[in-house]
Amino acid sequence: MRASFLLFSTLILLAEQVQAADRQTEAKGAKTDIATLLRVQHDVQNLLPKVRPALVAIQSGDGTASGVIISADGLLLTAAHVPNGPGKEMRVILEDGTITTAKSLGLDKTTDAALARLKDRGKPWPFVNLSRDVAKAQPGEWCFALGHPGGFDKARGPVLRVGKIIKQTANSLHSDCVLMGGDSGGPLFNFNGEVIGIHSQIWEGRDQNVHVSMAPFLRSWEAMQKSQVIKTWGSGAGGYLGVATVMSDDLELAVADVIAGSPALKAGIRAGDVILSVNGDAMTDQQQFSATVKARAAGDTLKLKLRTHGKERDLSVQLVQKPQEEGQ
Amino acid sequence: MTKDEYRAERSETASTAKRVPPRRGEQSEAMTNDRAPASHVWAFSSFGLRHFVLLFLLGPLCILADPLRPTLPSEQRTNGKNTLAAVETLKPLTVACAARIESPLGRAICTATVVGEDGYVLLKASEVPELHKTRIKFSDGRTADLREVHRETRLDLLLAQAIGITGLRVVSFGAARPLALGQWLCSVADAGKETRIGIVSAKFRRIPGTGAALGIRMDEKAAKGGKGVRIVGIASESPAEVAGLQENDVLLTIAGEKVAEFRRVHDIVNKRQPGEIIDVRYLRKDKEETCRVRLASRTKVLQNWEGEDFANGGISLRSDNFPEVLQHDIPLLPSDMGGPVATLEGKVIGINIARVDRVTTFALPVEAFWTEVQQWMKADRHPPKAVLAQ
Repeated sequence: MRASFLLFSTLILLAEQVQAADRQTEAKGAKTDIATLLRVQHDVQNLLPKVRPALVAIQSGDGTASGVIISADGLLLTAAHVPNGPGKEMRVILEDGTITTAKSLGLDKTTDAALARLKDRGKPWPFVNLSRDVAKAQPGEWCFALGHPGGFDKARGPVLRVGKIIKQTANSLHSDCVLMGGDSGGPLFNFNGEVIGIHSQIWEGRDQNVHVSMAPFLRSWEAMQKSQVIKTWGSGAGGYLGVATVMSDDLELAVADVIAGSPALKAGIRAGDVILSVNGDAMTDQQQFSATVKARAAGDTLKLKLRTHGKERDLSVQLVQKPQEEGQ
Repeated sequence: MTKDEYRAERSETASTAKRVPPRRGEQSEAMTNDRAPASHVWAFSSFGLRHFVLLFLLGPLCILADPLRPTLPSEQRTNGKNTLAAVETLKPLTVACAARIESPLGRAICTATVVGEDGYVLLKASEVPELHKTRIKFSDGRTADLREVHRETRLDLLLAQAIGITGLRVVSFGAARPLALGQWLCSVADAGKETRIGIVSAKFRRIPGTGAALGIRMDEKAAKGGKGVRIVGIASESPAEVAGLQENDVLLTIAGEKVAEFRRVHDIVNKRQPGEIIDVRYLRKDKEETCRVRLASRTKVLQNWEGEDFANGGISLRSDNFPEVLQHDIPLLPSDMGGPVATLEGKVIGINIARVDRVTTFALPVEAFWTEVQQWMKADRHPPKAVLAQ
């Protein structure tokens, strides 16, 4: 597989604007000198005390991973395979050993991007900014990685790695900052001290380390903050209500189940309710109801007429985007 | 097959291995309760790896063959030729002060650091349990036999002297402890021929020891006829597997001592040192056989029960029990241990002492050994050894 990597490597370099003169000469294939390495060292050592407090270790389920705080109110970026679902409680350890908890918000399993929120502690969290200029992280740029490989170890502290970006794809960055288990979810930084990647996957070669780029985060920010599960390559548009239906013995359309966290649950729809009409159209079977909901986009409002314990009632529900792995 | 060849062969298939937790009625040398945390700690690791293997197998061509996505050529990567050009001028202070320890057939065993112009070198002790079966090859091409001067298990260091050699280039030491995270370092690599760069990547600290292990799980019940202990599981790339032991072999004696119970096996092995060689007599299909097993650190065996996947070239047999280490991220092999680590000024600040995992190499900082080593050299140079007056 390593051979294929080299085989398919291409020598084309984008004609990009590089600010630092040393980086420019490198892009032309020139040799690095000690002065360049010392500048890299100087920058990393300057940035380290500023960015390190934002790194956290995460314990979720039976594994350990990493994450990075990106706002004073405790928003946390990590990899989607860490919580593996929205609404998951995770144990979080700060650099100084302080233990707290976070709850996962939305995530994107395709690109491995996930958002979580730390429990409020009544004062601001240390945080770093994320880079909004995704295209700037080009092959050859120096970068550095932080994480807790193998889990939190107070005596050792976070582990630093300095390397270069090897490749940028639509949703990821590859670098030669060597990663391993436990690093998942940790941050890759540029030399402005901004997060440009979240550690995600490795392959056998030392240079085969993959980070989620900021692209999937920025693209799905709103949805992730609303704890939605995003499927970037999509399964078709259509709003999501969050109820499972069944035909009752009286051949009426009844609610069999309401999915946790769904708009239906928030609007007060409960299992056993009979659905009489949607936006004035009488509902007589499951396919009709399903098609009616899906025909409307996320954000649209449905007016439902229900019968609960023999009493009719009306309510409005705003549809959201359909999560990846749940019912209709 | 040499161990290195063996490792290389394993690494091709390492990712398909599955972790099998000990079943009831079986005992690893570490006792089942001890094993549990190790597998927990790495749980995300195993998930991540499998996840990626799948992804790669499904679509390697579309990921790699995209000509619109430029890939940094290997010579421009952090340890590529063009970047390493920065430390080329340091070779007289690093590579020229290192040597290669090899087998009589010329296979690289480990690396040595020259500390005395009259042939004194430092090695990683656990890599050379049988020094008389090795020879040293210096960067100037000279070869020599080695004489063991002092073996210090606490530091995993061995001071040896190349017989009949003088006029060697000696390393120039500088202080390690003041170095902060992010400080560039360069190490001698490729069995003493090349250099690689990396940084100080974590805090200086002590690494506690956990004893030695074979890498086997044993039956709790005594073997048939009440003689010996049956092996019910073997860790991948473990000392037991490398030595050729198999499942269902019945251990009869360990280091000359008869064993009838798994706890005894554990006790005998655990108190020995990683790197040490012990004789094992066992029963296979009613036939008695013997083998020699080179023990490893228990942590190394437990954390890599399914093999050293993604460690790139394997890890050291002894990876713990050091009074103080400097951790760095220089990509090295176990055979590079014993070689010098220097700053970009060419000051040697330590000796590589253990390749631990994909991201970790430990070096002994100069402060942890140099005073002692000077005393061993002094005592060795001036026989007869004077008895100090009270």
